[in-house]
Amino acid sequence: MTFKQQKMASYWLLIAPGLILFAAVIVFPVFYSFSLSFTKWSGYGKSLFVGLENYRNIFSDPVFLHGLRNNMLIVAISVFGQIPLGFLLAYMLHRKMVRGGEFYQTMIFLPITISPVVVALLWNQIFSSSGIVTALIRNFSGNSQYVMKIFEDKSQAIIPILFVLLWMHTGTYMIIYLANLQKINPSVLEAAQIDGATEGQMFFRIILPSMVGTITTTAIFAIAGSLKAFDLIYAMTGGGPAHFTEVIAIYMYTNTFKYYKYGFGSAVSIIIVLLSVGLILILQSASKKIEKKYE
Amino acid sequence: MNKTKIKWNVIAYFVMITFTLLTIAPIVWMILNSFKPHSDIVRNPLSPPTSLYLQNFVRSWVQGHLGVYFYNSIFYSMISTVLTVIIAMGSGYALSKFRYNFSKIIYMFYTLGLLITVHSVIVPLFIMETKLGIANTRLGVIIPYIAFGLPFQVFLATTYVKGIPDAMQESAIIDGANYLQVFFTIILPIATPIISTMFIYTFLGNWNEFILVQTLTSEIAIRSLPVGINSFAGGMSRDYGLQFSALVIGTVPMIIFYLIFRDKIAQGFAAGATKE
Repeated sequence: MTFKQQKMASYWLLIAPGLILFAAVIVFPVFYSFSLSFTKWSGYGKSLFVGLENYRNIFSDPVFLHGLRNNMLIVAISVFGQIPLGFLLAYMLHRKMVRGGEFYQTMIFLPITISPVVVALLWNQIFSSSGIVTALIRNFSGNSQYVMKIFEDKSQAIIPILFVLLWMHTGTYMIIYLANLQKINPSVLEAAQIDGATEGQMFFRIILPSMVGTITTTAIFAIAGSLKAFDLIYAMTGGGPAHFTEVIAIYMYTNTFKYYKYGFGSAVSIIIVLLSVGLILILQSASKKIEKKYE
Repeated sequence: MNKTKIKWNVIAYFVMITFTLLTIAPIVWMILNSFKPHSDIVRNPLSPPTSLYLQNFVRSWVQGHLGVYFYNSIFYSMISTVLTVIIAMGSGYALSKFRYNFSKIIYMFYTLGLLITVHSVIVPLFIMETKLGIANTRLGVIIPYIAFGLPFQVFLATTYVKGIPDAMQESAIIDGANYLQVFFTIILPIATPIISTMFIYTFLGNWNEFILVQTLTSEIAIRSLPVGINSFAGGMSRDYGLQFSALVIGTVPMIIFYLIFRDKIAQGFAAGATKE
């Protein structure tokens, strides 16, 4: 074997296992899913080509539309809740506004280790009739018969879930921003301080502009993560009661694995991919404009 | 001290303490309740346990098959994490140091893979595994675990290995070493810091994974802890004491894991959001 051949052989030996797995488990199924989405198929027998019928049915199904609305609320709570709160916490820690920052940081980041399923069941207990929320409200309002009714309301049932998502993920954003804030050269800030810059000026002129890239990247994560919100809601409510807390991923799951509508389910999963790519593209072009403004 | 600074410090303490309490209180409450019998939880949800009642743990461990699930979770997480990290390191080395043009295309494929979530391929994956006869087997869980770990881990490995100076590899090659030897004797030892980050990050993800095991398996004998806890606490058990003890069993090992490896976990998350 010549040296060149040896190099080439080593290359493929190192690359092939990953590439084969990646192609078989991710790339191929995406295309498979795409082709299935134009068919009607119940899992066995022949599949029937139906063109765009699945997509038409999905978009005229009120359950899907309500799920889509819930997903958009989840996107909103991630982008306008978790990200600003995470940033605020990171900034306070970075500027050493509290003593023992390490302790707070460890505690607030903690939910990251807990499985979404455990988080879901724990919060179900918290919201249950023998849970913390009910007990506290009963204590403070003096009404010992109080029962939480929020899950029985179609438009509000998602709110407790949004709160739990905030609880789970804010710490993650805090950690990401903290790591990136620490990369800002401290001598720049010192120089600004010597020149008499106020805290506010330093924040808006130095810190925020250097974080635009990171914020965009985390917003992309947030959007992609929001659309796949599944584990937590599946274990908490399963999309119920009466589809009030439905999200697209659960809609896909029930249609496929409960009603055996494989073609229909595939069409929903293609919609998830398209939606996340679409939202991310919009976000990227928006952030490019912001970055230009700061240049 | 000037007044605005003090005002900001007060606000900062308020925010930090509020967040810390909100995070910790539910977990403390869960642990306290796991030591109380069902009737006690329902009657006095907020009061601490009056005696050390361990029966919940014994019963949930036995009735809920938590021992089996625990073993399976360790099995899946360990094996797929080790394989993911080795494969990702090999790919990272190949993609960053061999200077072939098509490396860029392969790397781009992996980057696009970051956007594809389990949910968008679970339907075809289930069909494929059923046809191949690996649905409901351990292999059928480990393969997708590795594949879904790869895009991000390849990204971490490639970025890190790129930063290792070429000179080290070149002098070894001139001395007659082949590329695989360079990988095992030079690259891997230098890359230990990123390897441990990759390992811990991937392990955490695999340990908490839910939908793949939920969909691709149906037997208790091969299901993992999150799926086991969900079917156990969500379905059969009306006994809150059992539920709480099952949740504690699922949480406490990970809290210990977290307290030991917090910095590494944080690095994994931070690395994902850092541009260039």
